[in-house]
Amino acid sequence: MGFLEYLAQNYDALLVQSFEHIQLVVVSVVAAIIVGVPLGIVAHRSELLRSAILNTTSTFLTVPSLAFFALLIPLVGIGNTAPILALFCYALLPIVRNTVSGLRQVDPAIVESAKGMGIGSFGRLRGIELPLAWPVILTGVRVSTLLNIGIAAIAVLVGGGGLGQEIFRGIRSLGSPFAPNLVFGGTLFIIGIALVFDLFYLLLGRLTTTRGIR
Amino acid sequence: MTDVENSDVMIELEDLTKMYPGQPVPAVDHVNMRIPRGEIVVLVGPSGCGKTTTMKMVNRLIEPTSGRIVLDGEDVTKVNANQLRRRIGYVIQQIGLFPHQTIKQNIATVPKVLGWDKDRIDHRVDELLRTVGMDPEEFRDRYPKELSGGQRQRVGVARAMSVDPDVMLMDEPFGAIDPITRERLQNEFLRVQAEIRKTIIFVTHDIDEAIKMGDRIAILQEQSHIAQFAPPEEILTAPANDFVADFIGSGASLKRLNLTRIRDIQLHADAPVVDVNDDITTARQRLRDSDWTALLVVDAERRPQRWLRPTDLKRPSADLHQGGLPVDATVEPQATLADALNEMIISNAGCVVVTDGRGAYQGVADIDTIMASIRAMRAQVDEYYRAAKLLDIEGEVAV
Amino acid sequence: MAVDLVDDVALKDEAATQVSPRHRTQGLSPARKVWRYVAMPLFLTIVLVGFYLYISGQELDTIEARQLTRPIIQGRLTEHIYVSAISTFFVVLLAVPLGIFATRPSLQRFTPGIIGLGNFGQAIPSLGMLTIINLFALTVTWLPSTGTVPAVLALVAYSTLPILRNTMVGLRQVDPNLLEAGRGMGLSNFQVLRKIEMPLAVPVVLAGVRTALVINIGTAALVFLYGAGGLGTLIFQGFQLRREPILLTGAVLTATLALLVDYLAGLVEEWLTPRGI
Repeated sequence: MGFLEYLAQNYDALLVQSFEHIQLVVVSVVAAIIVGVPLGIVAHRSELLRSAILNTTSTFLTVPSLAFFALLIPLVGIGNTAPILALFCYALLPIVRNTVSGLRQVDPAIVESAKGMGIGSFGRLRGIELPLAWPVILTGVRVSTLLNIGIAAIAVLVGGGGLGQEIFRGIRSLGSPFAPNLVFGGTLFIIGIALVFDLFYLLLGRLTTTRGIR
Repeated sequence: MTDVENSDVMIELEDLTKMYPGQPVPAVDHVNMRIPRGEIVVLVGPSGCGKTTTMKMVNRLIEPTSGRIVLDGEDVTKVNANQLRRRIGYVIQQIGLFPHQTIKQNIATVPKVLGWDKDRIDHRVDELLRTVGMDPEEFRDRYPKELSGGQRQRVGVARAMSVDPDVMLMDEPFGAIDPITRERLQNEFLRVQAEIRKTIIFVTHDIDEAIKMGDRIAILQEQSHIAQFAPPEEILTAPANDFVADFIGSGASLKRLNLTRIRDIQLHADAPVVDVNDDITTARQRLRDSDWTALLVVDAERRPQRWLRPTDLKRPSADLHQGGLPVDATVEPQATLADALNEMIISNAGCVVVTDGRGAYQGVADIDTIMASIRAMRAQVDEYYRAAKLLDIEGEVAV
Repeated sequence: MAVDLVDDVALKDEAATQVSPRHRTQGLSPARKVWRYVAMPLFLTIVLVGFYLYISGQELDTIEARQLTRPIIQGRLTEHIYVSAISTFFVVLLAVPLGIFATRPSLQRFTPGIIGLGNFGQAIPSLGMLTIINLFALTVTWLPSTGTVPAVLALVAYSTLPILRNTMVGLRQVDPNLLEAGRGMGLSNFQVLRKIEMPLAVPVVLAGVRTALVINIGTAALVFLYGAGGLGTLIFQGFQLRREPILLTGAVLTATLALLVDYLAGLVEEWLTPRGI
C-alpha cells in the first residue's frame, strides 16, 4: 500500500508509540537536568571534582546504547525502566558540560561587582550566574534531548516502547512489501518529534533570554 | 602633616595586614590610616603596591589577616560581610553591570535585597539616574549593551549609590574609558560629590587623577607602606621623600598648575578695552591712557575680537573691525592655570583673555599672573609647615 | 540567530572541554597522571575478570552453555570488530576530507548550516537509518542484501554526519589569526592549508577517528538484525530467551570493547598530537 494510506490506517498506533517515545525522552532529560545542573555547578566550583565528573559522564556516553540497556536489565528488568535509566545517563554529559562552560563564560567582573554589592553566594548563583549561563545550558539540554530521541528507538530491543517498535516491525518483515512503510513511518515520526522539540527549545530560548544578552 | 580629629574620622584602618600563604612578605603590611568624613581619599602607588588589596579589605572582599577596620565608630572586622557590603558602595574598573538586566533592575539590586517597596525603588532609580546626568525616561529600560562606556560607568556609580551609603570604594573606576569621556566623568563626579559629600576611598595608579580627585592622597610604597598621606598641594610642594618625588614625576611644577583655577587668581582687569563700534579717536585715547601696549576690541556682547597696537591705530585707514592680532586664546574662569598656560603657549598674543560662560570679557592673564600665583602657593605651604612645626614642638598654636 | 550564536558558544566550549589530550595531563601531579592512564584499563580488567569469574561460577543450562562457547563468542567478537573497523576506515576517508573541504573560505557560508544539520542529526535513530540502508540494499540487485556489506554501508551512512560535523567544528577552532598571519606572509590558500591548518588539524582528525570508532562499535551492536552477526546477537538472544548470562556476556563484551578502543584511541591521539598544541 502507499505510504500515505499506511499512515492514515495506522495513525493512532503511531501516535501511541510517539507518546511512549516522548515519555522516554522527557523523563530521562528532566531527571538529567535536575541532577546535571547541580553537578555542573559543583564541577565549576571545584577544580578537583571537575575532571572526575566530566570524565564519568563522558564515559557513560561511550558505552553503546544497546549494551547499556542490556546491562541494566538484571537490575531493573525488561521494559521501559532500563532504557530510561540509560537515557538519563546519556543526557548527563551535555547538560553537565554545558553548565560548566556556561558558568565559565560569565565575566568575572560581573560576579565581583555583585559580590562587592553584598549579594551572597547563593544569590549570585541564582540571580546572576545561572541566568547568564542559561543560553548555553539550554543548548546542552537541547543536545541531550536530540540525542535521546535518537537512542530511544532502540528501547524496543529490550522490551521497551516507543517508535522503535514500528521500525522493528519493519525489520522483522524485511523483504516484504510492508516493510518500507513501517520503517519510514517510525523513522519519520521520530524525526518529526525531534523537529518539534527543536522548535520548542528555540522558542523557549527566545522567551527566557532577556534582550540584554541575546 | 595635617592631622585628622577623632570625631571627623569615618573610616579607620588599624594595623591592617594581609598575608597570603606561601608569600615571604605581606601584601599589605600594618596599614594605619584615618579617613575623614566626607572626603575623597585617593590611594595611589605603583603596580603591586597593594592599594587595591587595601581598599578591598574595607568591604572585606579580601579578608584581613590581622588588624581592624572601624567604620563610623563601629568595628566591622568581623561582622557579616554581605550585610557590610550592602552599606558600602563599590565601583570597579570593568563596571560589572549585569547584562541580562535593565539599567533600572541593575540599580535596584541592593534596594530589592533590603526589601524596599516598589514605589520607593522606582523613585530612587530615577533620582539616581538624574544625579549622574542621565534621563530616566530614556535609560531606565535599556540594557547595558546598548550604552556607551561612559554611560555604563555612570550607571555603575548610580548603582553603587543606590541605598545612599555613606562610604564608597572606587577601584580605578574611570580607567577603562577614553580620556575625553574620563575627564568629563571626573568633573561631573566632583560636582556631585561637592553636594553629597560621601566618604570615598579611590584607588588609581595615575598621579594626575589622584591630584585632581583627591581631597587627601595616600602615596603607597610596596606592601602599602604609606610614604605620604596629605592633601595634594602639600604632596606637590613638599614631597616627604624621594619615592614620592619620583612618583610625582618631573612635571610636579606643572602639576601644581592643575590645582588652581583662573577664577581664584588675580587677573589683570585694567586692560584697555573698546567696543568695536566706538570711534578710532576714543580707541587711541584709551590706549594712551593705559600703560598697556595693545588695546582689546570687543563686540556688542563684550566678546573679545582682536588686539590692536599703536601702529595699527595710527594709520589713517585704521578700523576697529579689522587688523591687529585676532584673539585666539580664551579661557573660562573654571579652567585651571595649566589650561591657561597651554592656551598662552599656542596663542600668538603671549597672554590669554578670560571670558565667562557666554564669551564675554572678564580679564586678562599672562605669564606674570601665573608666576605670581605659584609664588603665593609656595608661601602658603611654608606657612603651613611653620604652623605644623610649631604645633609639634610646643603642643599649642603659636600666636 | 540567537540559537546559532548559542550553538557557537557551546560548540567552542565543546572543543574546549574536549581539551587537547596533552593539556589534560599537563600540570597534574605525578600521582594523578599515572591514575589517568591506569584508571580505565584497571577498571576494564576488573570488570572482565569479575564477569568471567561470575560466568564460570554459574550453573549454565544447556541453552546457555551452547551459546557461550569460546568459538561462538570469539566469532561474534571478530565480526563486531571487523565490521566496526572497516566502516570506520571508510567513514574517515569520506567524512574528514569532506569536512576539510566544507570549511574552505569559499564555502564558509554553508558551514554553520551543515554544522546545524549535524547537530540536529543526532536525533536520527540509528535503528531507522540502518534499516533504511538495508532496505536500499535489498532493492538494489548488485548489492548483497544481508551480511557485512550492507552493514558496513549502513554504519558509514550513519556515522558520516557526526564525523563531518566534528571535523568541521574542530577545524573552525583553528585560530583565524594564524591563518591571517600565513596569508599575510604570502602563503597561498593551499599552502596555508598544508603548512598551518593541517598540522593543527591533526588532533581534529585523530579525534574524528576516535569518535567514529566509538560510534561504529555502538551501532554495530545492531547489525545482527540484518544478518551481519556481531555481539548484538548475543545480547538480543539473551533477551529473547530470557537468559541473563548470554545477555550479559554480549553486553559486557560490547561495552568493554567500546571503552577499551576509546581508551587506546585516546592514547594514540595523545602521542600523535604535535607538541605545543
